[in-house]
Amino acid sequence: MEKTARLKVTDAFGVQKILPLLKPVFTIGRKVDNDLQVMSNGASRHHGSIIYENGVYLLVDTGSKRGTFINGERVERTELHHLDRISLGGVDDYQIQFIASDAPVELFSSAATGPQVASAEPRLSATAKEQLKNLARYVEVNQAFKFSLTPNDVLRLIVDAAVELAAAERGLILLINQEGKLTFKVARDNKRNNVPRKDFALSTSIVKQVVRKQQTAVLKVGDEPSDTAHSVMFLGLRTAICVPLIRFQMQDKMDATSDGRRELIGVLYLDSRAVTGKLSQTSLKLLESLAFEASKAFENVRLMHESQEKQKLEREFQTAREVQVALMPVNSVKSERFDLVAHSIPCRYVAGDFYDLMRLPDGRVALTLADVSGKGISAALLAAVAQGVIEAQFSAGHSPAEVAGTLNRVIVNRSDANRFLTMFCAVVDSDGGLAWVNAGHNPSILARRDGQTEELATKSLVVGAFDFAEYHVSHTRLGPGDVVFSFSDGVTEAVNSSGELFGDERLLELVRTSVSLTAEKIKDRVLKELLAFTSGLPQGDDVTVVALKMK
Amino acid sequence: MDLNLRANGKVTILDLQGNLTIGAAEETLRQRVEELVTDNQKYLLINLENVPMIDSSGIGSLVKSFTHAKNKGGKLKLLKPSRLAQQLLSITGLLSVFETFDDEATAVASF
Repeated sequence: MEKTARLKVTDAFGVQKILPLLKPVFTIGRKVDNDLQVMSNGASRHHGSIIYENGVYLLVDTGSKRGTFINGERVERTELHHLDRISLGGVDDYQIQFIASDAPVELFSSAATGPQVASAEPRLSATAKEQLKNLARYVEVNQAFKFSLTPNDVLRLIVDAAVELAAAERGLILLINQEGKLTFKVARDNKRNNVPRKDFALSTSIVKQVVRKQQTAVLKVGDEPSDTAHSVMFLGLRTAICVPLIRFQMQDKMDATSDGRRELIGVLYLDSRAVTGKLSQTSLKLLESLAFEASKAFENVRLMHESQEKQKLEREFQTAREVQVALMPVNSVKSERFDLVAHSIPCRYVAGDFYDLMRLPDGRVALTLADVSGKGISAALLAAVAQGVIEAQFSAGHSPAEVAGTLNRVIVNRSDANRFLTMFCAVVDSDGGLAWVNAGHNPSILARRDGQTEELATKSLVVGAFDFAEYHVSHTRLGPGDVVFSFSDGVTEAVNSSGELFGDERLLELVRTSVSLTAEKIKDRVLKELLAFTSGLPQGDDVTVVALKMK
Repeated sequence: MDLNLRANGKVTILDLQGNLTIGAAEETLRQRVEELVTDNQKYLLINLENVPMIDSSGIGSLVKSFTHAKNKGGKLKLLKPSRLAQQLLSITGLLSVFETFDDEATAVASF
């Protein structure tokens, strides 16, 4: 990879990270949507950007409240040079340094640790420090390169780092679930093994206290003989530390200098049976800083993971869509006496609508247009089953009424969800004889060559709802130039921006005045008018049409 | 959609308020009817007076509720469906299945 310029950032807790400037515009500010989120008192929500332009990096103030400074000098739009120090709002709790593209950078050089960590800390091992830095690095690398770290990976890293940092024996994380209850996520020992939840006796009183006060609590045997201390003793523990995991949610209309909304997402709990030395204030601070970074890291990874899962799901939907399209392979049938065309536009990835056109062995053609109640995958699955039954029934030479009757029995017997389908199915022969069943579907339009129209409406029941439903075939004779137009309710119930329905009458008129066109042109005209009517509004339902034109 | 229950003689009336469309509303209706039937309240009258909009999933929940009540020896009827609901029931052929009433007293007396 080509080397990019980087930012070396030391946060208020003395935690360092290196951020590659991978984007042409790299944003900095307090809000979470920035490329670098700076929880500094001097920073505005969208404070500034670093823009890569004509081979140089420019620091641009994007309307911050307290100004942007390079090496102590206030700037609006200035080229950055190697080792320039950037300060937001003149507050130096964050240290941001620009590292030019060609300069080597020493990751986490020991000399540059922040002031809080700098004091001598006897109990804090070098590896614990390294752990904390590693965690920060993990997060940044993960953000920069979209590595597929799962939320649980992050939680394990956090617990391992915390156990080491506090020289505890074991640690665990409880997170607040959607119902607002603390639930167990991960437990680890100091040898980095997973510990089963049942082996982890937890002092619930200390956890409750931390949840209530949102402050770290440390309990040791020998402290005041409170209930909590008793429970710690009862569990055979010498020490328990519980740290709140808090997320800061930045609010849109918030003043740039306020703190944002604190939200408890869970707790980190550490304990030890061994007598441990006094945990120093510095260690505690570091542990809290770890918890803070951890909350942020976890939240980021969780969001990223969710979006990856969503993409995966979308790919699966796409596949389902392709399968469904493959199930409707024939969208037109031409014969000497008539043309038949069909088209379906799902409003989601997959439709509950479907059509089926098939040539029968005896030369007749069967056509079906159906609409499964409900939407999405479950509707599409029932549609696929129904299509299979219909094809098999027609292929075996059954009439539309027998097809509907069999399909009804199949669905009533197999489906216990409240699903059914409405359907128009028909067989047309070369003499213009149309044998059809309308099972609870919108009546198809019959437009005669001379401008007369009829509705092919019989009141047969929907398919798949009642075991007692019966279906009967109706017969209609079609003459040269006559048109039969079938549609799903996605056509007539389409709504325009004024809330007006497309409606039955508009469709009837459209078909009536299109009767001289070919089947293909009639279909196109209706779909075009429908699109113009809804002009740009999202499609509310699947739209399916079938047009039959006698020659 | 809101669903409130009241008794009129041996009949339990389900007063619906709001659209009976795909999602929570149809689920609510179906579950409530199942609970009532399990609880041996088998004469159910669904009041659709304040239901402006019903979609195919809503019809599905009525169908399922109807079938459930019928299978357990109960009855389910409809009160005051809107013009749109009537149209939908008519297209789907369900007017031949559901008894519908415009008047509560007549409806209750029919059970």
